[in-house]
Amino acid sequence: MGENKKYPFHETFLKKEWSYSTGAVLLAILALALVTVTGSAWGVTGAFVMWGGKFLQLVGINADTWKGFNGALAKYNFWKDQPAITDTGIVVGALISVLLAAQFKIKKIKSSKNVWAAILGGLCMGIGARLALGCNIGSFFSALPAFSLHGWLFWISIFSGAAVGSQLLKKYFM
Amino acid sequence: MAEQTLDCLGEACPVPLVKTQKALEKMAVGDVLIVDIDHSCAMKNVPDWARSAGHNVEIEEVGEGEWNIIIEKTK
Repeated sequence: MGENKKYPFHETFLKKEWSYSTGAVLLAILALALVTVTGSAWGVTGAFVMWGGKFLQLVGINADTWKGFNGALAKYNFWKDQPAITDTGIVVGALISVLLAAQFKIKKIKSSKNVWAAILGGLCMGIGARLALGCNIGSFFSALPAFSLHGWLFWISIFSGAAVGSQLLKKYFM
Repeated sequence: MAEQTLDCLGEACPVPLVKTQKALEKMAVGDVLIVDIDHSCAMKNVPDWARSAGHNVEIEEVGEGEWNIIIEKTK
């Protein structure tokens, strides 16, 4: 602990977690800036659909003829896709932040149970996010400031889902 | 004054917190629980909960991205 005190700026701004209010204010400012610059609200999972489609094309399945894509894959440009850029930014930003805090660590996988939970959980989240036409960012964070009712419906649904999820977690992971 | 270590390395929230709560329940007043974590969210919610429950808490950074949360049960 004593060693850290030598670098008060590093300790306060890069190592210690910021308060919820600091995060909220920054998120609001950045989300507003994103809408102003790109013309569309912040979203995350829309890009995954396109990447998934591109991957299918790569392995020889022409997903572009599917109704959901209908030629969108041929026109897709990563650098013009707002979610694709912000998604990349989130991952790169998280890496920079953890490196600056000197907290980077490759974690050991504790059990095969954790692996299955990650795979199944990821699939459920992906399918759920697509059925809901967005995740907690596109369908919640970006919906509420636009006074859209679907954000509130999403909020109720996600809390019910989380309640069920925590019970499953308690039952199988404790 | 028993001392016990709880290995929560590789566990994500809220598993470390629930495991800590369960382990402390079984311990006697004055006992010390050392929780090993490498999940930065647990570094916030485990001490936050333990302090709000009135226990003495200390956090030690033992390596890059790895912490020991030392909790002394006070009641």
